[in-house]
Amino acid sequence: MNGGDIPVFHPFSPETASISDLFILVLIVCGVILAIVVGMIGYGLIFFRHKPDSADPASHFGNRKLEITWTVGPILIIVCLFALTVRGMRESDPAANRPPDLIVIGHQWWWEVRYPQAGVVTANEIHIPVGRQWLVRLESADVIHDFWVPALARKIQMIPGQTNHIWLEADAPGTYDGECVEFCGAGHAWMRFSVIAESSAEFDAWLREQENSASIPAIDSVQTGLKIFQTMSCINCHSIQGVSVAANAAPDLTHLASRQTLGGGVLSNTETNLFRWLKNPQAFKPGCFMPNLKLTDAQASALTGYLETLQ
Amino acid sequence: MSETASASVVIETPQRGSASRGLYGWVATADHKRIGILYLLTTLVFFVMGGVEALLMRIQLARPNNHFLSPDAFDQLFTMHGTTMIFLVVMPTLIGLANYLVPLMIGARDMAFPRLNALSFWLLPCGGLLLHFSLLAGGAPAVGWFSYAPLSETPYATTSGVDYWTLSLLILGVGSVAASINLIATILTLRAPGLTIRRLPLFVWMIFINSFLVILALPALNAAIVMLFIDRHLGTHFFAPANGGSAVLWQHFFWAFGHPEVYIMALPAFGIISEVVPVFSRRPIFGYEFVAASTVAIALLSFGVWAHHMFAVGLGHPVDLFFAATSMMIAVPTGVKVFAWSATMWGGSIRLTTSMLFAVAFLIQFTIGGLSGVTFAVVPIDWQVTGTYYLVAHLHYVLFGGTFFAIFAGIYYWFPKMSGRMLSERLGKLNFWTAVIGFNTAFFVQHFLGLMGMARRVYTYPDLPGWGLLNLISTVGAFLLGASVLILLWNIAVSLRHGQPAGDNPWRAWTLEWATTSPPPVQNFERVPPIRSRRPLWDLAHPENPDPIVGGTAARDGFALEKNRVGIVSFLITEGVFFLMLILAYLYYNSHAMNGPTPTSMLNPQRTGIYTLCLLASSFTIWLADKKLKAKQPSAFRWLLSLTILLGTVFIIGQSREYLRIFHAGVMVNSNLFATTFFTLTGFHGLHVCVGIIALLILMGLSLAGDFKQGRIEAVKSIGLYWHFVDAVWLVVFSVIYLRLLL
Amino acid sequence: MTTRQFLISAWNWNPWVIAICVATILIYCARHHFHFTRNIGWLLAGVIIFFVTLVSPIDALADGYLFSAHMLQHLLLLLIIPPLILLSLTPAPNSNRFQNGRWKWLNWILRHPLANWFLGVGGMWLWHAPALCNAAVTNVWVHRLQYVSLLLMGFAFWWPVIGPWSKQRISPLAGMIYLFSACVGCTVLGIIITFSPVEVCSIYLHPVDRLGILPLIQNQWGLTPAKDQQLGGLLMWVPACLIYFCGIFGLFARWHGETGDKEIFAESQLTKTIMEKPHGR
Repeated sequence: MNGGDIPVFHPFSPETASISDLFILVLIVCGVILAIVVGMIGYGLIFFRHKPDSADPASHFGNRKLEITWTVGPILIIVCLFALTVRGMRESDPAANRPPDLIVIGHQWWWEVRYPQAGVVTANEIHIPVGRQWLVRLESADVIHDFWVPALARKIQMIPGQTNHIWLEADAPGTYDGECVEFCGAGHAWMRFSVIAESSAEFDAWLREQENSASIPAIDSVQTGLKIFQTMSCINCHSIQGVSVAANAAPDLTHLASRQTLGGGVLSNTETNLFRWLKNPQAFKPGCFMPNLKLTDAQASALTGYLETLQ
Repeated sequence: MSETASASVVIETPQRGSASRGLYGWVATADHKRIGILYLLTTLVFFVMGGVEALLMRIQLARPNNHFLSPDAFDQLFTMHGTTMIFLVVMPTLIGLANYLVPLMIGARDMAFPRLNALSFWLLPCGGLLLHFSLLAGGAPAVGWFSYAPLSETPYATTSGVDYWTLSLLILGVGSVAASINLIATILTLRAPGLTIRRLPLFVWMIFINSFLVILALPALNAAIVMLFIDRHLGTHFFAPANGGSAVLWQHFFWAFGHPEVYIMALPAFGIISEVVPVFSRRPIFGYEFVAASTVAIALLSFGVWAHHMFAVGLGHPVDLFFAATSMMIAVPTGVKVFAWSATMWGGSIRLTTSMLFAVAFLIQFTIGGLSGVTFAVVPIDWQVTGTYYLVAHLHYVLFGGTFFAIFAGIYYWFPKMSGRMLSERLGKLNFWTAVIGFNTAFFVQHFLGLMGMARRVYTYPDLPGWGLLNLISTVGAFLLGASVLILLWNIAVSLRHGQPAGDNPWRAWTLEWATTSPPPVQNFERVPPIRSRRPLWDLAHPENPDPIVGGTAARDGFALEKNRVGIVSFLITEGVFFLMLILAYLYYNSHAMNGPTPTSMLNPQRTGIYTLCLLASSFTIWLADKKLKAKQPSAFRWLLSLTILLGTVFIIGQSREYLRIFHAGVMVNSNLFATTFFTLTGFHGLHVCVGIIALLILMGLSLAGDFKQGRIEAVKSIGLYWHFVDAVWLVVFSVIYLRLLL
Repeated sequence: MTTRQFLISAWNWNPWVIAICVATILIYCARHHFHFTRNIGWLLAGVIIFFVTLVSPIDALADGYLFSAHMLQHLLLLLIIPPLILLSLTPAPNSNRFQNGRWKWLNWILRHPLANWFLGVGGMWLWHAPALCNAAVTNVWVHRLQYVSLLLMGFAFWWPVIGPWSKQRISPLAGMIYLFSACVGCTVLGIIITFSPVEVCSIYLHPVDRLGILPLIQNQWGLTPAKDQQLGGLLMWVPACLIYFCGIFGLFARWHGETGDKEIFAESQLTKTIMEKPHGR
């Protein structure tokens, strides 16, 4: 994993870098204020403790000058903070007047990723070229989701009936974790994704591969798997280019085998995991809309074999 | 005037006999002290439930990829935990404390409306039971305590949990508003002679301001909840974007309530601290005026900061910036308070009783929570950390480290007054140290979890470096915190039987509640000591060195208010906010073109204009009726009253015919958003007119049964005010819906 | 055109405005026989802001380009300049000049806070009715009427709070309610303008580019008509309410400071004597 332990302070894009700097500055200011308060209280606790048999201290009702000072002082601090806020916001103001490079649509509980220029559709994994500022349009197909890649970009809600835009950019190649941050139902915890930043050449190669459907070897077992995909209810929700592209209720599987995870991050994408997932998805991602189809071991392994060919 | 102030004042003897004993006595009580204790006991039960819910969640989160709870169970738990802690614990606990203490602190015998007070309390267990009944009816709500639409709408939340949630919150909201109206009327009209507003103890002042926050903020929630309920049951689309509704409007409505709510839970806590810190530092509060004014500032600003919960919505940079500015500004009055409390301790003679220890921990923890709150006001930082465990940590520092610690301080401070016995200091110290260590262990690490990217409300998480360990630490802390609550319960149980007798004033405090016995008699006071400053008992104990007199010698403020009038006006203010929300929803949805019926095609301004005139005329007739009653002309009064009822009925008939015409055209409440907002707004108004007519009929009956006695004239005034209000609302509604068509 | 060029060139040296400024200062000086107190500071601030409002580029922007600039003018005329001028006047218990005769009606208005409230808050709502708002931009006489009426309504609104005649002032507590309710009034309007897609002043949606600054505004400053209206709504809402809040805290301070120090001393002497009397406990 790239991004360090604390991605908010270990940014990999100009936008998150500027937020990180701002955050550290604000934390220092807050730390100083906290130190003053704790210092005042601590000093009081040490030096102004009650001594037995001592009389009450003289009444002291306040000091107007002091009170005005600690009203005006913080006002000056927040004026500075406000100026910093304005500056920070200007750096992450996406232009809405150009077509987006990427469209991400939140579904319960997966991410539909579209590359409008190339016409490529994928899910739960976003490939971007390193060093290019991409405009991302965010939508929702059902409830409110929230798109967040801590190391790369601010978070923003995906709201049904509204489109939002943000910049997405990575300074260095790597895989960056992303997740949904607005509670969206039973599968919220497993609505994760990754952003894979690659060099331009790698990215272009990947995109070309995605544009075509996978080549399926004419082996019997694979053809059995394909049959199962077409005859069981899989095809009602999933699309595979070259097989059927009618459905949009669940992730597009055209290049499933090239992805790193299954079920929105709940399992890594290995052959055994895919088999276990097909046998009973509810065991791994309870509440998700993919039912337990009660596949026999033979059916499941044939289907796994077919899906594994979707490179 | 000085004569009145100097003499001790004899309180009128109680009208009811001594308090009845036994369970029945408690159930039927209208005594503010008993009701206060009922509040506290009830919230204690809910507090334990909310705590157990939290601990179950912490067990589930103790290690990654855990299967202790299903996501559905976990979602129900965090929804119930949030709802319970906010609506069934923090708010009612603070209201309960206010109920017990405010009349004592202002030298009154009881609240202004004792029976309303009992009603407010009994709505709490009703609302709580209704909410928990959902567990038997298919599952508790599982949408989070802010129930974001459209997740809370029927296609996504299929069980009836959300319905129980809405109904229960409505009931609890009504209870809180009623309690606040009662507190406002009590504080404004029942203060002992000499206790002018400028001499109020800060706890009472903050409860006073807080009550206004409640009556202004809760109607926003009620309006939103009513719309959600209509959506779920009548098939309308307020918040369903698929049919033109707006998911963002729910957020606006909810947070327009939700942020003032944060201060509703904080201001009374500030009040407790403002009493505890001076007493145990043996010095008056430093800068009373600044502390009092900063409370007003917080209350005013709290209504203009809600959108900082919505920086991730994409409202546009101008909106984000303005709300950032107001959100930062609210830190200033909060800071003023923290500095004032610290300065009160400075130069004092500090006694670290358990109560004071909790207050000191409050100061530091609340400052941490407040400062992490400032980071949320800096918009770009909010974009990174909102919705993560950093936020969870922040809100618990404010609400647990802040409010709950203040409540604990208050319990240790006032328990002797309520029970007549001291809480054990030995157990108290144990309680404190487990609480402070447990709390900070549980929640400080959550800041880091948030920065590492852990979202809130996830039932489990992948095994990323560090996540499992920090979550485990947090769980251990939570259990330590749970243990400290058990120690508190044990301490209360033991001390109730074996605690040291407290005496009238064990802490040598200065406010009026300590001038009576512990526990106070039914009528609270035999005599109220003279009040000429903010610390009457100090003056009494130190006649050689009294506090300077505050605000001149007058024993009363420059105005005299009647409690029924105060009550009805406060009630109308909260009604006004409710209608304002409905009107704003109407404007919001009808300002752009839509499919289906439109105002122009459905409504006829001229015809409705005539009925409007009838309603306005009825305002005039009830005004005249009131005059006639005062002039002791009962028959003229009855005639005018009948005329008013008649005019009101004509209006209702007119509205019904309008409805029938629209129904006839095939338009129903769920046809489109025009129909939805139109029927909701005019329907609620019509309902109010009907209630008004019933009230007038009751007046009529009373008048026929016999002439009005002195006290009843107030009832005519109150109902008259209500009627004027209903008419005024219609005037606005008419302009918004109908007059716009003529322009 | 660059921002700098615009800020230098877009001044509108309206002789009437200059004449009013000079006349106000001269009249004030003459009334005080050139003996000045601190109060002249308030007057100068008021006059300077008045000058800036109507002469500086704000006016050029408000004139058909930016709804938010119009709102800024509106706020200054209604909520900033009148209170500054009122604060500069010498306090007196009352004046009988308006008690009777033909100024009696004025006296009636000044003495009825409800009327003043409706003038202040109603003025704000009235001038944002779409028809009036557009007319004020297109018709020069309506435009002038708008300025004058805003100023007058501002004076009327602030009169009961900080007017010079203490007898006509309302009590501080009532004053706080007066200002708070006014804040609610402009909050509601501000919210409607900010969040709903209502087009308040359609004229600002399609500005006629007489000065050639439209590209500057929309591209360089990034103020699209939608953002502009949002900004205008926010201006009417947040800063306006903050001005009211300042008033509320001024009243709070006045209320808590009502008893002078001397009186307190006398009182505490009195208390001592009273306290020495025994009382039953």
